[in-house]
Amino acid sequence: MSRILIVDDAATVRMYHREILESAGHGVDEAFNGMEALEKAFMIGYDLFLVDVNMPKLDGYAFLRELRSHGELPQAPAIMISTEAEAIDQNKAYEAGANLYLVKPTRPDVLLGYVRLLLGEPLQ
Amino acid sequence: MNATATAISQDDFQKFQEYFYRKTGIRFEDSKRYFVDKRLLERIAATASNDFRNYFAMLRFEASGAEMQQLINLMTVNETYFFREEYQFECLVESILPEIVARKQHDGPIRIWTIPSSSGEEAYTIAMCLLERWSGIDRWDVEILSSDIDTNILVQARAGLYSARSVQHVPENYLAKYFRRTAKGFQLDDTLRNAVEFSRVNLQDATEVRPYRNFDVIFCRNLLIYFDDQSRKQAAETFFDALRPGGFMLLGHSESMSRMSALFQVRKFPEAIVYQRPGGGWV
Amino acid sequence: MALVKVPTAKTAEIESRSEVRDLAGLQAKLADPDPGARRWAARDLAAHPAASAALLALVRTEEDVSVREVALSSLTRIGDEVAVAGLVDCLRSEDARLRNEAIEAMKSLPERVAPLMRGLLRDPDPDVRILAINVLESLRHADVELWLISVIESEPMATVCGAAVDLLTETGTPRSRDSLIRLTQRFPDEPYIQFAAGLALKRIATA
Repeated sequence: MSRILIVDDAATVRMYHREILESAGHGVDEAFNGMEALEKAFMIGYDLFLVDVNMPKLDGYAFLRELRSHGELPQAPAIMISTEAEAIDQNKAYEAGANLYLVKPTRPDVLLGYVRLLLGEPLQ
Repeated sequence: MNATATAISQDDFQKFQEYFYRKTGIRFEDSKRYFVDKRLLERIAATASNDFRNYFAMLRFEASGAEMQQLINLMTVNETYFFREEYQFECLVESILPEIVARKQHDGPIRIWTIPSSSGEEAYTIAMCLLERWSGIDRWDVEILSSDIDTNILVQARAGLYSARSVQHVPENYLAKYFRRTAKGFQLDDTLRNAVEFSRVNLQDATEVRPYRNFDVIFCRNLLIYFDDQSRKQAAETFFDALRPGGFMLLGHSESMSRMSALFQVRKFPEAIVYQRPGGGWV
Repeated sequence: MALVKVPTAKTAEIESRSEVRDLAGLQAKLADPDPGARRWAARDLAAHPAASAALLALVRTEEDVSVREVALSSLTRIGDEVAVAGLVDCLRSEDARLRNEAIEAMKSLPERVAPLMRGLLRDPDPDVRILAINVLESLRHADVELWLISVIESEPMATVCGAAVDLLTETGTPRSRDSLIRLTQRFPDEPYIQFAAGLALKRIATA
């Protein structure tokens, strides 16, 4: 079973994404910000990261940069989830190390489609 | 007469769980319902809040943060004893100290600070581990400093007299080697008592902590979790300044820098996750 | 080699500060190439309210986290109009790190920030409106729920409404009930709004 880490400081958003992912059979863990996400990522090899941008202490971009540049952290694809819809922000996300980019508020079908794609699962 | 709350609903539990997780990083699973509900009801009654909603509102906005402190105290296990959270001492000996000596460029001793000292168990445990488990102790000098705000507890720490409960996790051979059984309890030998310097310090007093510098390792376990957001941030800055570049910081096992400060880098060793002040010529 | 014990008086090293620590001297030190020197200057400037502008300028360009954090702490301690206006301005920054650090600083200045809230919740930039809602999370003010209600009543963007509802799942009272129901009617095709408003309503009902 795949294991996905949801990184977001908003409890309701984490809960929402958890329900979507669990209903599709994925295992889910949560982190409150980029720093907690790093701590968890050191302990568990996640298959996918769902990363919010605005979080205290360590934001989404900083987390991705740290994840991608760290020799000891197991790598996995990442979807950045942001309120910003501009193309320039998407580029920032890709430069930081995101694989895909979603704008909030997310829709279950789109999110699951992206997840399946990144996990290499066949699209239904 | 208003009856005080006698049960916590699932929704209220979730609200509380989310709030507590946000503030402390500790997450209570549903399996902990009995544990959490019991203590919440206790505090609701103790604060004459009547129901969860009033209590929660008070908890969130109390300026002094005193109720949050009380609650954290209730929700976490606070006993102090020798070899508590032993994996951190293993980490010190197996991973942290080897890295420190590998890049050490000065002649002075390696300096370790543990705060709060409480009755000394942590500091003396470190001393024992260094003497018994670290091969480097024959080559390098180590200075152990332990501090607390409470002068009474410092007297106890210097005296080195402990209950059976406190020493229950001390390996048999260390117990025989470093302690004397007396009528009053287990008396720590002078070898160890003389190995640790105890001092009084208020961590939140900028003037008092200013002289504390150039430490290689700082243990601050199960203290910061009781501080409010501002004080935690302040304390993290204090520890940052107290460490040498590349120095290490260890918190209690249910504590995380993610709720305190972005100053430190997360380091994963086989035994533990610790925090490191950047720099010191170590990538 | 062994465990050595050094008396506290010797162990504690006193930092000798030979230079003058006046406003001009300290501000000059903010440009020092050594981050340690910048950090100490930023820290000591907490005692100089006139330093707000200089500290803000530093915060916007400083790369070293330890210097930025201290500068923000000092700005929070000074907490004057210039400092607060500057922090609000940081919410508009392109730099996510700076935006989030500003939010944290603002959370420590509730009395200063409260009067600005209404305006921020109506700011032309939706991201500023969202960040302002983030500040509300720990703002001690009688009107917080009313402000959130006015957001979900009139805010056009779903993302901003989402942020407001998230806070209401924790702090909502029956006062918010009708507005939450209207919100679900306003955004029938937004699954997140349906989810979050539903949760907030559920928690209000069982409180």
